[in-house]
Amino acid sequence: MQVFLQTLIGGITFGAVYALVAMGFSIVYRTMGLVNFAHGSVVMIGAYAASTFYMASKVPFAVAIVVAIVVTGLIGLIIERFLRPLENKDFTLMLIGTIGFGAVLEALAILIWGATGHAVPSPVATEPLNLGGVRIPTYSLLVIGVAALATTMLAFFLRRTKLGAAMQAVAMDHEAATACGIHVGRSNAMAFGIGACLAAVAGSLIGPMLYVNPTMGGTLGIKGFAAAMLGGFGSMPGAIVGGIAFGLLDAFAAGNFQAYSELVTFVVFALAVMIRPTGIFGEATVNRA
Amino acid sequence: MRLTIVAVVLAALTACAPPGENSGSSGEATGPIKIANVNAQSGQLSSLGKWENKGVKLAVDEANKAGGVNGRQLQLDLFDDQGDPTVGTNLARKISSDGYVAMLGTAESAVTLAMAPILKDAKIPNITSGQSPKLAELKSPFLFLNAPTSVTFDETLAKYLVDEKGYQKIALISNNGAYGSGEHDAFSKSLKARNVTPVADEVVTPEQKDFNSNLAKIRQQNPDVLFIGAEEVQSGLIAKQARELGLKAIFAGGAPMGTDVYATTAGLANAEGSVVSSPYLSNEASPAIKEFAAKYKAAYGEDARLHVAKAYDGASILIEALKKTGGKGGQELADAIRGVKRDGLLGQYNYDEFGVGIHETKIGLIKQGQAVPATAS
Repeated sequence: MQVFLQTLIGGITFGAVYALVAMGFSIVYRTMGLVNFAHGSVVMIGAYAASTFYMASKVPFAVAIVVAIVVTGLIGLIIERFLRPLENKDFTLMLIGTIGFGAVLEALAILIWGATGHAVPSPVATEPLNLGGVRIPTYSLLVIGVAALATTMLAFFLRRTKLGAAMQAVAMDHEAATACGIHVGRSNAMAFGIGACLAAVAGSLIGPMLYVNPTMGGTLGIKGFAAAMLGGFGSMPGAIVGGIAFGLLDAFAAGNFQAYSELVTFVVFALAVMIRPTGIFGEATVNRA
Repeated sequence: MRLTIVAVVLAALTACAPPGENSGSSGEATGPIKIANVNAQSGQLSSLGKWENKGVKLAVDEANKAGGVNGRQLQLDLFDDQGDPTVGTNLARKISSDGYVAMLGTAESAVTLAMAPILKDAKIPNITSGQSPKLAELKSPFLFLNAPTSVTFDETLAKYLVDEKGYQKIALISNNGAYGSGEHDAFSKSLKARNVTPVADEVVTPEQKDFNSNLAKIRQQNPDVLFIGAEEVQSGLIAKQARELGLKAIFAGGAPMGTDVYATTAGLANAEGSVVSSPYLSNEASPAIKEFAAKYKAAYGEDARLHVAKAYDGASILIEALKKTGGKGGQELADAIRGVKRDGLLGQYNYDEFGVGIHETKIGLIKQGQAVPATAS
């Protein structure tokens, strides 16, 4: 029972981060129908920006996260600006463009920070909570809390504000949205920007849990993408459920299948997607160029 | 990428050359003596490759300043293997046709294993920085290791933990990558020889980041010692998460745990007291090492470390052997290397028929993120 609960804690913590990454993938996909393959690299840049600023200037961690959000938000806008001429023209080129941007960001990180990377000290130094033998690191609680806060803010933005409603409209039918006077390009830029901000939050949070280096985006990107698929690509609640589910799947596979855990995780994922191709919260698939 | 293409084209060209032209440079007695240094300069393992290259270069530059070998200068050429065995085999063919007398590197056992048969056929001695026991199993008369194999690292560790300290409750956690599984097998074997059965034996994947499940199972056994068989970063993550779970066991492992990457990833407080087995504990261990570390820092402006020291030792042994053969390569050079008895930075070099020169490691304890010899405490 103790092992089960402890595994649960680890799974939910990593799941919360996967959920943030998955939401970044989903918001761009639902708005533009585009999979942003540079997203993993943006997470990495977010991790670097937050950890470098946090360690160099000794400011509170929350401030470092805000700095990272600004940095990656700008990167998101730049990527969208570069891709905009292709919007509604060549979808494949846009996809390849995002892959290219991923490689560029990785190369930039090596130029700026070097290839070796750095470890980030935990921002909360208190002892883990002990609940009947199950230990919950305080940092895990922080991660889950911040992830929940970011999710709530995003939901509020999409449902309650005019800009958010405009983005929803573009997601549903971009031609009709244009007819109503909504600027599709601006809406896309916002999707990219928000996606990148979510990446910064995910990167900042995962930094102290892992080791920040230029190639860390690869695994995080793949797992976040898989989480988004599992939940239903393009669906926000799907990204959250998918992220947590993927974190738990990963954690329990590690305990029970040892060296085969990665294999088991992705076989289960493949089976789940085969049985339900639209994911758990499958919406009608968006597909346009 | 362009380098790969060049390497492939060159390899294809040399494959067409008649076998008689592959004989190397033993005939020419003038001009520089050509030594190849093969190490990853790009890709994920490039930091290792860059350290190795700096260590080799330091030794060669010193020899050249002192007048070279028999009045001939040493010419060191660097090749990038990208940490890829396929690129490695292409480079091996290039080296064997371009008149190199010897090769230094690589830092990855897998690449060296792929290159070894070609270099053996071409009779080109290779001093590698790989540590896999598989390199010794080849028994190639042209392959030499500049460090001990995993077997030695883990035998020394088991001797210290079980024979000296009397720990019996030992748990294992290792990854199933090339390095981790080698560590797992070598340490398990050393424990078995001492009739100690591990209380837990968890295997993880090299990419795994969340060890809560594995560590919770280990915690139920309440071990005295947790052996970690993984690379620097993963070892650090395991140590950090183990302490978060309240595991009190002493951490023990090979050379990766003696690095600052391990200590900072785990957090200095969590890494404190970790037991490491390594032939090179710190830059302060002896007067000779201190002198070397100072030279290195003056040349490159960074601190020396195990990978630099062993590359330096390997290159120094090659230079010593070249002086004996008067710059000649081939079988003569291989025999000369085998005959070198050197008091190096990693210990006393004394090559056996497996090409292994160092036969023991030292035990260190991590204090404030630095490895210090265990006897000093």
